[in-house]
Amino acid sequence: MITALPILIPLMVVILLLMVGRKVYWLKLIGISGAFLLFLASLLIFYTVRQEGILVSQAGGWPAPYGITLVIDLLSALMLLISSFTAFLVGVYALKGIDEKRHRFRFFLFFHTLMMGVGGAFIAGDIFNMYVWFEVMVMSSFVLITLGSEKQQLEGGIKYVTMNLMGSFLFLAGIGLIYGKTGTLNLADLSMTVRESDQTFLMNSSFILFFMGFGIKAAIFPFFFWLPSSYHTPPVTITALFAALLTKVGVYGMIRFFTLYITDINPFWQNLLLVLAALTMVIGVLTAASQYDIRRILSFHIISQIGYMIMGLGFYSAFALAAALFFMMHNILAKTGAFLVGGLIQEKTGSFQLKSIGGLFKEHPWLGLFFFLPAMALAGVPPLSGFFGKFFLIKGGFEGQHFLTTAIAIWVSIVTMFSMIKIWNEAYWKPAPKDLHQPASHPLRLKRTMIVPVAVLGFSTLLFGLSAGWFMEVLQEAAQVLKQPELYIEAVLKPV
Amino acid sequence: MLSIITGVLYTAGVYLLLRRSLVKLILGIIFLSNATNLLIFISAGMTEGKPAFVAKEGAEQTGQMADPLPQALVLTAIVIGFGIVAFTLALNYKYHKQTGTYDLDQVKETDKV
Amino acid sequence: MEWTLLILFIAAGISLMIPSRLKNLKGWILSLFPFGVFVYLLTFIPVIDEQWLIERSRPWMADLGLNLHFMLDGLSLTFALLITGIGTFILIYAHEYMRYYSHTKRFYVYLLVFMGSMLGLVLSANLILLFIFWELTGISSFLLIGFKHHQENVRTSAIQALLVTTFGGLMMLAGFVLLGLASGTYSLPELIIGDIKITQHGWYLPILILILGGAFSKSAQFPFHFWLPGAMQAPSPVSAFLHSATMVKAGIYLLARLNPVLAGTAEWQTIIPLVGGSTMLIGAYLALTQKDLKAILAYTTISALGMLMLLIGIDTELAIKGALIYLIVHALYKGTLFMIAGSVEKQTGTRDIDLLGNLAYKMPITTAVALLALLSMAGLPPMLGYVGKEIIYEAKIQAPHIAGFVTFFGVVSNIFMVWVSIFIAYRVFFRRQYHGFKTPKETSHHFWIGPGILALVGLILGLFPHQLGEYLIQPAMNVIRAESLKVDLKLWHGFNQVFMLSLLTVIGGVVLFMLRKQIIPFFRKVNKKFFDVRFSDLFTRFLDGIMLFARHNTRIMQHGYQRIYLMVLFLSVAFLGWYQLIDTRFWTIGLSVGHLPPYVTLIGAIIVIATLFTLFSRSRMAAIISMGVVGYGIAIIYLIYSAIDLAITQLLVETLTVAIFVLVIFKLPRFAKLSSRASKIRDGIIALLVGGFMTGMALKARNLELQHPISDYFLNHGLSEGFGSNIVNVILVDFRALDTLGEVTVLLIATLGVVALLKIDKS
Repeated sequence: MITALPILIPLMVVILLLMVGRKVYWLKLIGISGAFLLFLASLLIFYTVRQEGILVSQAGGWPAPYGITLVIDLLSALMLLISSFTAFLVGVYALKGIDEKRHRFRFFLFFHTLMMGVGGAFIAGDIFNMYVWFEVMVMSSFVLITLGSEKQQLEGGIKYVTMNLMGSFLFLAGIGLIYGKTGTLNLADLSMTVRESDQTFLMNSSFILFFMGFGIKAAIFPFFFWLPSSYHTPPVTITALFAALLTKVGVYGMIRFFTLYITDINPFWQNLLLVLAALTMVIGVLTAASQYDIRRILSFHIISQIGYMIMGLGFYSAFALAAALFFMMHNILAKTGAFLVGGLIQEKTGSFQLKSIGGLFKEHPWLGLFFFLPAMALAGVPPLSGFFGKFFLIKGGFEGQHFLTTAIAIWVSIVTMFSMIKIWNEAYWKPAPKDLHQPASHPLRLKRTMIVPVAVLGFSTLLFGLSAGWFMEVLQEAAQVLKQPELYIEAVLKPV
Repeated sequence: MLSIITGVLYTAGVYLLLRRSLVKLILGIIFLSNATNLLIFISAGMTEGKPAFVAKEGAEQTGQMADPLPQALVLTAIVIGFGIVAFTLALNYKYHKQTGTYDLDQVKETDKV
Repeated sequence: MEWTLLILFIAAGISLMIPSRLKNLKGWILSLFPFGVFVYLLTFIPVIDEQWLIERSRPWMADLGLNLHFMLDGLSLTFALLITGIGTFILIYAHEYMRYYSHTKRFYVYLLVFMGSMLGLVLSANLILLFIFWELTGISSFLLIGFKHHQENVRTSAIQALLVTTFGGLMMLAGFVLLGLASGTYSLPELIIGDIKITQHGWYLPILILILGGAFSKSAQFPFHFWLPGAMQAPSPVSAFLHSATMVKAGIYLLARLNPVLAGTAEWQTIIPLVGGSTMLIGAYLALTQKDLKAILAYTTISALGMLMLLIGIDTELAIKGALIYLIVHALYKGTLFMIAGSVEKQTGTRDIDLLGNLAYKMPITTAVALLALLSMAGLPPMLGYVGKEIIYEAKIQAPHIAGFVTFFGVVSNIFMVWVSIFIAYRVFFRRQYHGFKTPKETSHHFWIGPGILALVGLILGLFPHQLGEYLIQPAMNVIRAESLKVDLKLWHGFNQVFMLSLLTVIGGVVLFMLRKQIIPFFRKVNKKFFDVRFSDLFTRFLDGIMLFARHNTRIMQHGYQRIYLMVLFLSVAFLGWYQLIDTRFWTIGLSVGHLPPYVTLIGAIIVIATLFTLFSRSRMAAIISMGVVGYGIAIIYLIYSAIDLAITQLLVETLTVAIFVLVIFKLPRFAKLSSRASKIRDGIIALLVGGFMTGMALKARNLELQHPISDYFLNHGLSEGFGSNIVNVILVDFRALDTLGEVTVLLIATLGVVALLKIDKS
């Protein structure tokens, strides 16, 4: 039963939210309690998976591969844990960070449908079901990104929607073709079929569709254009939520598929992954360096850092895989934290534009610290989480003798440092520009519910870094499961 | 034959998406949606005139029946596709109403540095 | 021993909590922490004399080879004593110096964190741990250098220092990882003592170069040297600390530490002396052309660092010994001089040596302290500097392969050093003119206690070098050379070749000083003509170049035209797709289109025609209706092929879509002719490529079946267990009910989303 909680809890919350209509107080109360409950459930699930191994539940009681199977292995459990943790913090921030109007139009409802989609995608053991949850997630994100109907939002929304739909279509087409060839939808069954068949290479063309479907969602090169066009348009709370979850679900999908189906990775896939990863890293980081809007700098960096994760997948050793997962989790924490601090900066100064703000460090040293932690984590400064992510990836890369890609990753991390320092320099160190007086509507004291999540995220990058060893142990275990799909297959298909 | 029709629908969808008109964008999405559904349907193999109805205790004839699973998938996909198309339509309508723009080449405000 | 680090980090926290009524004692209170550590470390001198190496280890990330593993030996101890000893006086000095600055709370936090990181660096017994502290010193020094961040040049310098050292740091990290892979361990004691022959390994050269990148950038070796003069933008206590015992010495420490692991090869003995030697010369030369007192000192630091590198590169016992002594010498006098420079600036309002002068009479104590330090810098007896220089000369004369070269350059740079020392003494303290902005008077004792003690230590050690050699240099030598050595230092070596060189150096320096009126303008002119390349500007320009490229790249990548984004996307789909299709030879699997009844063909034709009509129609209404026809056509196909439910749903949805479309149609824009013919053809080709690929895929999937579908189960169990005879429905509501749940959710979101979209700005 607890296997289905990541879907059931948001479902329950959504129903409750529907019942209270547009009463903002209740929407907030139920919304945030639901997010907390989801986090607790994820903790419980993680604990159970650690104790008992892969959790499998057959929806409706139909045996696999015929019914829909929900599977939570260590990877899923970790993803659930970190995403619900971050989402909860973003939820707390949203209490004040999202305006009343958007709350009235059910921000929290879409928040929870999004979580439902994300949770569903993490636990689906069935490829079509995974598609359905992807759609739930994507549809929620469509609404969230346009929630407020401001011109910029609509415009970003059009691009976001169109290109994400392409991803969905490709994914769906891939499912149809795979079913046509193998006659099954169950991930484990499918993996077994592919393994037992000597015609695996015939699958490659269908996998291309999956690869591109996930690639669009994960925003890798050359499919990332939707992200920088749209991520800076909604309120920063929503961007933070997206940064934490959406692209990472795409990466999750890719990792899941590659480990289940591309068993002994062939040069075609490996080269494709590594080349695209390198291009994604480089182009993302370069475009970020040229920006002057905090949100856009951070958005472009999402792309660059997705490149790191794909690179880890491309190295394809268990260690590199674990490193990629570690990097992903670090990124969820740090990126969300950085975006939310961006929100605080905007609250204080009224702008995201680096050229029109400044002098923050003199007056708000704590705000400085809260930015410094996630920003330096992103730049990979020890002992914050980003350093360990980078270190593990370098190690994985050298172990596999992928010297060039690894060298590119190292170079990219310096440019990342440069971008982060640029924000620091312009927003915090530089004296506030004199000719631009700060808007009078913004001298307000920052709300505690906005500061606390930011502080928690900032310090969590430190804690995550300091306990990197423990996490890496768990992740290597998770990667072992990924590298040996037999375990997964056996858990799912074993007779009840 | 049906494969070719699918291809034609894809071609049309892609072509429409590459136009600059807001309306054609939506038409393109509808075409791609239909094309994808059809692709799923045909790639699973088709059986003519044998709907998957099981009469009472009539399990022995199941071998010749049409595969019901892809039908169920396509049905789900159609409905999801409808939700998406409706939302996209509303989005483009709203955008047009707010800005009066119909040329997608004008929609690049958010990519300005 | 490992607790000493923690004490400094805790002190950083405590510094925030010191109540304001104790504000007047803050620096003194805080100085107790490093001083305590210093005294505690002193007690280890007899211990390491007996057992060369003390290790402490606690597991941290044991599986990854990263533990909280610390070591104390002669080398670490030497550095640790310098760091905490000088750190003590820096804090006392800062207490007074920073009095009128605002935000000093942060300053003390940075300084103590920096000190702790530096101590951690020299005590780490694990390469990765060492790197962690290495980067921490980088970040905390970034904050220190940028302390006066309201000035733009300060910010630029801080960023340059950070980027350059981080760049090197990352190279070093890569080197460490490679080293770890090659040797199987990150533990320094294992690397040093164990018999792992890294120098024989195929990766030796890359490892060496990467690690040298880290050491060179941190220790400001040419061409990374430029960040160091910029770093003097920091408040003087920081400069004094960074330039003397810490930060810039980290590279030296690293190479000394790794000497038993990596040295002894031709690469080591070529690359390092070459870089070190040129840095030494360039630094000394550039020092002469400066006018800013702190800049002069900064360039002499570069020169001294070059000298240290050179010695480490020469790699003989004598050279290492010389390096160790010179390290101490330099830390003592450079710390002193930077603090003196700060005092002078405080009292006169300037650091320009053209304006300064005559301070000997106004600030006698400061002058006396400065002179002691300058004597050491010039390498004159009876200072420790003399002892060091003698050994260094000896080492250079005996250097293998390159003795002539290094001796010559060594003498030249030392002549410059003598000259600079005399020059500073004359210009700042003894010249009769004074054009400063304030009337100078002697500083309070806070300002001269620290430098005074450091200078005196230089004198005392010069007088009693034997003890230094026995208790500190010898244990350090033992671990570096990995053999038991006897170090016996003397102030006086007798009249020998080395003494002659010393004499020559002094005479040279004095002569050059006397000719300064001719030479300095000449140097400055030469400098303008040939060396008018300011590396920091070059670096800025380099960054600007990258930015320009980045902006260019952004314009190409993120131009805003959605159809181009889509075009790239579709082209990628087509390219990758066709590549795979052709790779798998889909035509061999079968192109059999199958036999189709004529009515299906007819419907197919209708669909195609309606599609074409939609594409090329100029009327919105017609386009929508023909799109509806396509939808209905598909519904009929579903119907023919036994999918009744599908057909019904398709009809319903198609009707709804068309209806909604028609409702808003007149509020939507007309079709305008927007594209040229060429772009239409191009788009057509792309579309055909995608469509063709999909056709190929469909054909392939139809004719390929690896496994019999799972659906029989549904047919067999649908009635008995799902209680329905329409199996599609049973699947939807029972077998795959979860899909349906998701589907309903999507519809719900879409509905509420449309409501929010359209209504939100009306409320």
